[in-house]
Amino acid sequence: MNLVRDLLTLSVGLAFATRLHAADLIAPELQIEQAVDHYVQSHLTERQVHPAPPADDGALVRRTVLDLQGRIPTIAEAKKYIESTEPDKRLKLVDGLLASPDFAYQFRNQLDDLLMSGQKGNHNEWREYLLKAVRQNRTWDQMFRDMLIGNEDDPETKAATTFVRVRAKELDELTNETSTIFFGVNVSCAKCHDHPLVDDWKQDHYYGLASFFQRTYVTKKNLVAEKFAGEVKFKTTKGEDKVARLMFLTGTIVDEPVVEVSADERKQRDEEVKKQMQDDKAGPITKPPFSPRAKLVEIALQSGNDQLFAKAIVNRVWAMFLGRGLVHPLDQMHSANSASHPELLDWLARDLISHKYDLQRLVRGIVLSQAYARSSEWSGSTASPSADLFAVALIRPLTPRQYSMSLRMASAAPETYKPESTGDEWQKRRDELERNCEGFAHQFEQPGENFQVGVDEALLFSNSSQVADDYLRDSSDRLIGAIRPETDKSKQITAAYWAILTRPPSGEELAACEQFLDKRAEPVAGLRQMVWALLTSPELRFNH
Amino acid sequence: MAHANSSFCGSSDHGVSRRGFLGRTVFAGATAFAANMRVMDALKNPCLAAELKRQQKSVILLWLGGGASQFETWDPKPGRLTGGPFRAISTDIPSVQISELMPKMAQRLKTTAIIRSLNTRNADHGGGTRLMETGRAMEQAVDYPDLGALIARELGRADSQVPDYVSMYSETEGRHKGGAGFLGARYAPTFLTESMIPPNIRRPDSMSEIDHQERADLQKLLAKRFADKRYDPSVASHGMAYERVRGIMASEKLFDINMEPQSARDFYGPTQFQEQCLIGRRLVEAGVPFVKVARAWWDSHGQNFETHLELCADLDQGMSALLDDLQQRGLLESTLVITLAEFGRTPHINASLGRDHFASAWSCTLSGCGIKGGAVYGKTDEDGHKVVDGEMKSGDLFATIFEALGIDHNKEYYVGARPIPIVDFGAKPAMEVLA
Repeated sequence: MNLVRDLLTLSVGLAFATRLHAADLIAPELQIEQAVDHYVQSHLTERQVHPAPPADDGALVRRTVLDLQGRIPTIAEAKKYIESTEPDKRLKLVDGLLASPDFAYQFRNQLDDLLMSGQKGNHNEWREYLLKAVRQNRTWDQMFRDMLIGNEDDPETKAATTFVRVRAKELDELTNETSTIFFGVNVSCAKCHDHPLVDDWKQDHYYGLASFFQRTYVTKKNLVAEKFAGEVKFKTTKGEDKVARLMFLTGTIVDEPVVEVSADERKQRDEEVKKQMQDDKAGPITKPPFSPRAKLVEIALQSGNDQLFAKAIVNRVWAMFLGRGLVHPLDQMHSANSASHPELLDWLARDLISHKYDLQRLVRGIVLSQAYARSSEWSGSTASPSADLFAVALIRPLTPRQYSMSLRMASAAPETYKPESTGDEWQKRRDELERNCEGFAHQFEQPGENFQVGVDEALLFSNSSQVADDYLRDSSDRLIGAIRPETDKSKQITAAYWAILTRPPSGEELAACEQFLDKRAEPVAGLRQMVWALLTSPELRFNH
Repeated sequence: MAHANSSFCGSSDHGVSRRGFLGRTVFAGATAFAANMRVMDALKNPCLAAELKRQQKSVILLWLGGGASQFETWDPKPGRLTGGPFRAISTDIPSVQISELMPKMAQRLKTTAIIRSLNTRNADHGGGTRLMETGRAMEQAVDYPDLGALIARELGRADSQVPDYVSMYSETEGRHKGGAGFLGARYAPTFLTESMIPPNIRRPDSMSEIDHQERADLQKLLAKRFADKRYDPSVASHGMAYERVRGIMASEKLFDINMEPQSARDFYGPTQFQEQCLIGRRLVEAGVPFVKVARAWWDSHGQNFETHLELCADLDQGMSALLDDLQQRGLLESTLVITLAEFGRTPHINASLGRDHFASAWSCTLSGCGIKGGAVYGKTDEDGHKVVDGEMKSGDLFATIFEALGIDHNKEYYVGARPIPIVDFGAKPAMEVLA
């Protein structure tokens, strides 16, 4: 009886683990952006919602550069786009940005935030691995393999297994973060009890997934290793003691090959693990013939099981650029929380799998869609439409790194930074910028769901010497120093608006700033105050 | 003001309800701000202040970082092998004795309930701290807020002009900022470590008051154009954060102990902990809902008795002065004082005359608001090895704290679609210690 019930639950529950019939989706040959706009538009039509108009050129180039380069555009970059009359200028912009050195830095940072947020310490080799992976456009399934079962003897993939290394001490952390990040499924509820709201997740799922990691440990030499044996035991809610089976989230169970081991051998293996954990001079690790982690990777990517893996990353990439997942929250892919656009999620997952998990292709398609390019202003007389319709561009807080880098560029003398310069020159500059911005970035919180700006941040900007002496410095390499010699106040104001907000001031803004400057007894102090008011604008703090 | 006067001093129907401010969302900025200014003005008027005091509830957490010994404080075992050299003394509650290291508190148990039955199972500094700060075991993928953030959320005003969670942690042992978790940065602590005043609260010397103000006005004016056309809570929180700057800056004086008469400073005593207790009272009086004063170096693996001789004197003086002062000002009935650590210390006395980490049977106290003074909750065995009556987990303690403050411990927050109870699943308040 129980078996029948379990099977029923599994087949009913796992909406995200299965896919719709191919015949129900629009053609696979379509461009990603076409599919996106088809499905998003059909929902809008169904609800009779008219979306916001497209963002103007200035707003769009700013948004796209922030997303694909991790910084605001320079004035030259922005004006080039705004003034261009080429019909395919947007396509050229996006392809140019994807091919530029900055993209690798930005996408690396996004992946780092996704994979390592909340992990303390500097992980330089890890960040180098990610950067290189993005530059080579390493596919997502390859990266997943690198991170979970990379070869510890190869320095490159050893850097990738940092993902496991930093979490290996806590089985729950390793289990649940692997699950939320790669499968979009937060099973932590099911640790103590079957999920109260969702039939999908039973204790068997949680402990089944944990079983794949149970034998993982870190040696004294800081290498990720696996024991020969070990299983997860747990108490069911009914109080029975149970040994978990190796079970993937879809219910696929692995039976480990049975190998007879003598008591002596077992003892010897235990001794070796002990030695590896305590002795930094221990010899090479003996690898067990059966690796549960390798098995997990194999099963998760198997056709039939790969839907969770594909949909989770599609959903996360979508959310990076659109401000909200097709499934929201991002770690709640289960049958009680359906996608806003289920067909689109299926189409994109199918497309991703059939293009070998090429993430950059996915990024390009999303960024070229109309849904991405809408205005973030809602001026209709009706209330702002529900966020899951993507009828108006959603506001996204800058990440700490984006913010720090944008502040540095906005407060610099115009033309300090020249991303258009060829050869290695700009890449070196960008590398330097990344490092210089790290310190300030650390003072901000990584934006998550329901992000709020705290008063600490406003106090930091209002009163710290750091902001006054750096961003607002009156020297020739800073914005203040560059616009100070100008005698026409309206020109000073206009220059500051372009440098910081990528647009000219409106008439009202110009008047307000002029009036402000006129009242100042000390002109340079006045300029610094006005520039401060622009640097602290929400228009710089958010991508919009 | 005349209007505000009549409503404060007249019928209670018109009284300012602190809870009333909570219902407003950040979007109701203008109205809430105006209302709040009335509160600020009210503090200058003794009659209004008295009305407000009755309704504003606050918490002061005295945090004994490193883990204080229950034997040398609230649960002595004189004459037992585990008891150590100190005596137990009588208190103002006839049936209750505490360690002789706490003589002043022994005369003030009428304000205080002792809980002697904490069994929290985590005797690791990091884990124990998180457990006792958040009231629940750490769980992957849910970032739980700590007590300060929960109280700031429950008792603070959305647009408060004072910080609503101040955490003073001058010593380095076990220093931990804690945080607002899923409640968001709005409820993150103002964290004081190196200095007695919060970072960036003081206007830069290079700027005049008027320039600072007018610069902020310009910022607000220019920001408005952007924010008005975009309905987004994160953008709103940005505006609110900048709007709070001036008020928070004005609260700098609250941290300035020199503004207290010498007699008050003498009353609390000269140590940093005692001075911070006094700052805690100043903050609570001004409407700060949660203040944490950390006093570290309790981790007495060696020389437990000498350590406690010194540190208990500091605690006894600071805590008793704080309770007396709050009482004299009529603030004790609305202020809950919690004296807590991450865990207690072992019954076993080790070879270095120390006591090690112990989370199976230890103590804490609750004083003031909503608490039945003189109550003793729970019991350990005669050597203090285990709890024999009224076992309390961290979640139960949190449930008790919330109920003492009039906050329903069954309340739930939502993180996405997931309901998160304000206290751990199954946690229950100890009704016996509630007034």
